[in-house]
Amino acid sequence: MTSPPGFDAVLEAVRRAFAADDGAPAATAVRPLAPAEVAAVLGDHVALAVTDRAVLADLVPGAAITGAIAVAADGGRHGALVYTTAATGATPAALAAAIEAATADLAGTVRRLRSEAAVLDALHSTGRELTAQLDIDRIVQDATDAATKATGAGFGAFFYNLVDEFGESYTLYTISGVPREAFARFPMPRNTEVFAPTFDGTGTVRSPDITKDPRFGKNAPHHGMPEGHLPVCSYLAVSVLSPTSGEVLGGFFFGHPEPDRFTARHEYLAEGIAAYSAIALDNARLYERERNLATELSRSMLPVAPPTPGLDVVTRYLPAATGSKVGGDWFDVIRLPSGATAFVIGDVVGHGVTAATVMGQVRTAVRSYARLELPPSEVLRNVSELIGGLFGESFVTCFYAVHQPSDGTLRYANAGHLPAIMIRPGEPPEQIGEALAQPLGVGSVFPQRTTGFPAGADLVLYTDGLVESRTRDLTLGIEWLLAGIPGLLTAADLGTAWDKLVEELTGGRHDDDIALIHVRHRGEDAP
Amino acid sequence: MSERDVTGDALGDATGSAGSVALESLDGATVLRVAGALDLALAPKLRRLAEHATRLGDRLLVIDLTGVTFLASAGMAELVRAHRGTTASAPLRVVASGRIALRPLELTRLVDELAIYPSLSEALVR
Repeated sequence: MTSPPGFDAVLEAVRRAFAADDGAPAATAVRPLAPAEVAAVLGDHVALAVTDRAVLADLVPGAAITGAIAVAADGGRHGALVYTTAATGATPAALAAAIEAATADLAGTVRRLRSEAAVLDALHSTGRELTAQLDIDRIVQDATDAATKATGAGFGAFFYNLVDEFGESYTLYTISGVPREAFARFPMPRNTEVFAPTFDGTGTVRSPDITKDPRFGKNAPHHGMPEGHLPVCSYLAVSVLSPTSGEVLGGFFFGHPEPDRFTARHEYLAEGIAAYSAIALDNARLYERERNLATELSRSMLPVAPPTPGLDVVTRYLPAATGSKVGGDWFDVIRLPSGATAFVIGDVVGHGVTAATVMGQVRTAVRSYARLELPPSEVLRNVSELIGGLFGESFVTCFYAVHQPSDGTLRYANAGHLPAIMIRPGEPPEQIGEALAQPLGVGSVFPQRTTGFPAGADLVLYTDGLVESRTRDLTLGIEWLLAGIPGLLTAADLGTAWDKLVEELTGGRHDDDIALIHVRHRGEDAP
Repeated sequence: MSERDVTGDALGDATGSAGSVALESLDGATVLRVAGALDLALAPKLRRLAEHATRLGDRLLVIDLTGVTFLASAGMAELVRAHRGTTASAPLRVVASGRIALRPLELTRLVDELAIYPSLSEALVR
């Protein structure tokens, strides 16, 4: 361990100060002290004459010490004992006192800077933890806990504003330091004179005794704190302001039953945590907004399946229940001028608003080419070329099938999408269109197949969210889906049966979109 | 040289295990070893390292999917990009053995286009 700068010079000066009775320099020795020894021998002192025989015998066994001074440096991380065995005058105590006096200011400054650094460290790590989260509930509770601890408050509360899906704003709160029940009986704080600066975002309020504040106790019915409220004397309240919009996101309130507990330092810390909380809440709100927007966008672009003569069509679109992967899946059911019906299911790689808007355009493109009654292979080829030009490198899987009632056939092509399932009466489910071609945006040739789609048959098109996830292997997922099909076919209500099967297959949580179409060929009113 | 970067789920996406991509140079080839779920969360990392790999100027880029537990479309899109993309200078070889990686590549017919090897040692053969 290297000594801090100047420490050797200090030791040298201390050694020279040891003088024999005749005034000549005495022979001295130096015994370095480990940090634990510094703490034990010196406590908070920078220099101390050591006279305790037992202590000296511990540090330097067997020496007949006549005078010793322990000195510390670098906040106790370094230290040394300077001692002599020569006969000396009574210098050590006086010398130690002189060193103490000379360095007292410095030691105080070092201690203050150290505690400042510790405070900043704590603030910084709180900030990092807060801003790495997108879960609003966790952000507000963690922030309240951290701020209550940092300010030494008896209790802390964070009231924050949220906007619900109908655009109405409402207020929630978290509590730290006392059980939530302690506040459960009270109404939300109103915009009284005491609370106004915090809810209006006009400034921090810090009071040694809020009950003596001229703004306190002005409002009926309570004129102060409601009956049964935890006693608050020291009071500190800080606004949380959105860094992007400037609006007040909420406010931190800290209380302590004794007066004069909150210092400028506590105020500084509370404001720091409030600033980090504001960033974290802003992020969480933006994330939530993006997710809602993508869901909204996807939903708004999905069709209501038109009535199709002779066919029962059940469709489902379930946006990703977790994470931010909403937005890529779509389905479509298109009545064609010739009387045929086209069924489309697809998946755009990507997520959020970008994927949702690409999906919207791809869907429109498929729809347009479909309405021209191009054969399936041509529809997919045209769309693939189109999106290659529109979006550059893209990766869109799509199954496109056309039911031709006149000859009871299904013509289809598949651009890298999962196979469809065809169930003909009396036959086991069959996967059709497996691995026919590469995805749209990747492939250029999309072979087409034709199969019979007689009355009484069922066709199922679906996206990968139904059969695979990080925890479900695709091959197994498809097997499970196929195993679930017979139960569907005999169910009284196909829609309800699908909801149940989706729940079973995904374990109730799907982290990817799910889209599906089930077409049942009733046949009776076919032309 | 070795560089490892793990994409965590710190931002609330708590499902399943996080994936990782590690870059190393082996025998004049840049090898990107992918482990865990190669999905939307990990795809950008694979893209960045694949682009970084092309700047290293090695003779070959190998993307090793042996440790992949889930290959989503987003991951396959990155394979196509590394193979065809304008930044792709070295030829791409993909290591995939089990059905977890192979099945999605078959369904999308990417097996027709990508050079796929059953093991890293075979992919590194000159």
